[in-house]
Amino acid sequence: MSDRMLTMAEAVREAMSIAFEERPEVFLLGEDVGIYGGAFGVSGDMYHKYGADRVLDTPIAELGIVGAAVGAALSGMRPIVEIQFSDFTAQAMDQIANQAAKIHFMLGGALHVPMVLRTPQGSGTGAAAQHSQNLEPWFASVPGLKVVVPSNPADAKGLLLSAIDDPNPVIFLEHKLLYKIPGRDPVPEGATRIPLGVSKVVREGKDLTIVATGIMVNKCYEVAEKLAAEGITITLIDPRTISPLDMNPVFESVEKTGRLMVVQEGPAQAGFINEVIAQLAGSSSFGSLIAPIKRLAGMNIPIPYAPQLEKAAVPQIEDIEIAAREIVKNWR
Amino acid sequence: MPKMSMTMETGELINFHVAVGDQVKSGDVLFEVMTDKIDMEVEAPADGVIESLVANPGDVVEIGKPVLIMLTETEVMAFDFGDDDQPVATVEVAAPVVQAPAPVVTAPVVAAPVILNETVKAVPKARVEAANRGIDLRTVRATGPDRTITMEDVNGAQLDPVIIKRQEANKALIAKGIEMTRAIAQASFTRSVSANFDHAKFIAAWAKVLRNRPDLAAHEHIGVALIIESKYGSALPVFRDPDRSNHAELVALVASTTDAAKNGKVPVAMLSGATTTVFDLTTYSMSSATPLLFPNQVTSVTIGYESATTKIVSLTIDLNFCDFYDGALLLDALVASL
Repeated sequence: MSDRMLTMAEAVREAMSIAFEERPEVFLLGEDVGIYGGAFGVSGDMYHKYGADRVLDTPIAELGIVGAAVGAALSGMRPIVEIQFSDFTAQAMDQIANQAAKIHFMLGGALHVPMVLRTPQGSGTGAAAQHSQNLEPWFASVPGLKVVVPSNPADAKGLLLSAIDDPNPVIFLEHKLLYKIPGRDPVPEGATRIPLGVSKVVREGKDLTIVATGIMVNKCYEVAEKLAAEGITITLIDPRTISPLDMNPVFESVEKTGRLMVVQEGPAQAGFINEVIAQLAGSSSFGSLIAPIKRLAGMNIPIPYAPQLEKAAVPQIEDIEIAAREIVKNWR
Repeated sequence: MPKMSMTMETGELINFHVAVGDQVKSGDVLFEVMTDKIDMEVEAPADGVIESLVANPGDVVEIGKPVLIMLTETEVMAFDFGDDDQPVATVEVAAPVVQAPAPVVTAPVVAAPVILNETVKAVPKARVEAANRGIDLRTVRATGPDRTITMEDVNGAQLDPVIIKRQEANKALIAKGIEMTRAIAQASFTRSVSANFDHAKFIAAWAKVLRNRPDLAAHEHIGVALIIESKYGSALPVFRDPDRSNHAELVALVASTTDAAKNGKVPVAMLSGATTTVFDLTTYSMSSATPLLFPNQVTSVTIGYESATTKIVSLTIDLNFCDFYDGALLLDALVASL
């Protein structure tokens, strides 16, 4: 059974179920997570399996949902919050940024907030500007929050188990387009954890280092496969946890390839991926660069409704392929 | 080759609308390009002169690669520091403005390297590599996008023999405990001479003296750069092997080049290959100055005003190549030759 191919929705449900079995204090709350099985079907049959006491359907009130979770976490529970769309976290931001993130620090470590907030993000579903954002930098810029952006089912399962173990708040950003797609790698059975704050080298090459987050890891992987046939080999790095960020594999790889490209779905301006560029530019690995750093990111516009424009607003496989080939070809 | 659409990778050159030597204004059509989507006319981005046509009609040119080389007014005035093998394209890259030597009399001196108002674009690793190998990036031909020096450029760069020898000598001096990492050890000598010469006669005489000292030359030829001041700045046209020229022709060439330089129009072919520099200070009624050495030259000379019948000739030598005695002999030989 070592070759189980799950979708990300199945892998996340499996991780939550394992945590439910392991710890009685773990519970799930959110809009439609119970009887309906979650807006994207992630909680599925958990309501029927674990009952209404552990899978709580809540009113449509994000500030209240997260506030309740923070209170429960302070009282010894381990809540998992599902916010239907990451865009709606704006409603709950005071509880997330001002309460959950800071309580541990403001009380000298006396209290913990072991809460996980899971939420789907990203464009590609034709859901327009208020349901399609990539808000990675909102959370990554709040000290006290850990931020996880899984790119595949196996990582999602292992990282979510670690997130639930974590004594303080973790924001878990799942891309909705990945929910229904099986990953490239099998999802191990059992309760295997993947530690937070460890970047993953997805594949290794000698010509170009690409750092990408979330769904962009998958797009870059496809490009890397294609370009390998042309003799261009790519090291692809998935930070997985964008806060805290593990840059060591990036430094090591750039010292070998001399070329760096960063790819994210969110808007370029003040985007998370800029942090990777900034840390590289300020490191001793800077002197290894043989090419200007290339950034591919979303346009600085609200995600449009029209499908063609929605597609044009974020990097697509063809854009990544052209940019990767150009940087390698032009800078030798 | 400009990028005219998102997917464009190459363009086919249809034809040129200009020829070498044409003066063009910003907006003039330079050439026509055919892509998979459109045909387009490419316009001059600035006023200038067409220096050379690189591609041929019918060629498929990658975006970012040169189709033709155009020099702007200031670039026509530019002085090429590189050796004579460098293609003209690098004139635009180097484009340094030469700082006039300060009118201070000191000899011997240890001078800092010539300061140049220029920036060289290079990828970070190229800078590291150049520093490690002692390559002056100003002498490296840039082939990368936006005329940036790439690793390939640095790896293919030839070190100027003068710079190599100077570095070796500097290492020896460091071994003796003298901090010479970036400096050139140099000494200056001064003599009064009869004012019985013009620029043509002077540069021919100086070239003849240097001809007898191949140990001071890193190149087969002798190229005398004559600094000519104009409202555009300093121009340094280079006269090649003037000691072997017909004297009347040399006189005419110096006169016409000086006129041209004052109007900002030095021929591109005369902008490279300098091995020594001559600076006539009498224009400023100055008597003498310490002529600074260019990084890849071993000697430089100034001509100063003393009286209606006498001038002062100052010679600066690089002490890595010759000693004080050599310097005195060289100046003596120059005076005798005049």
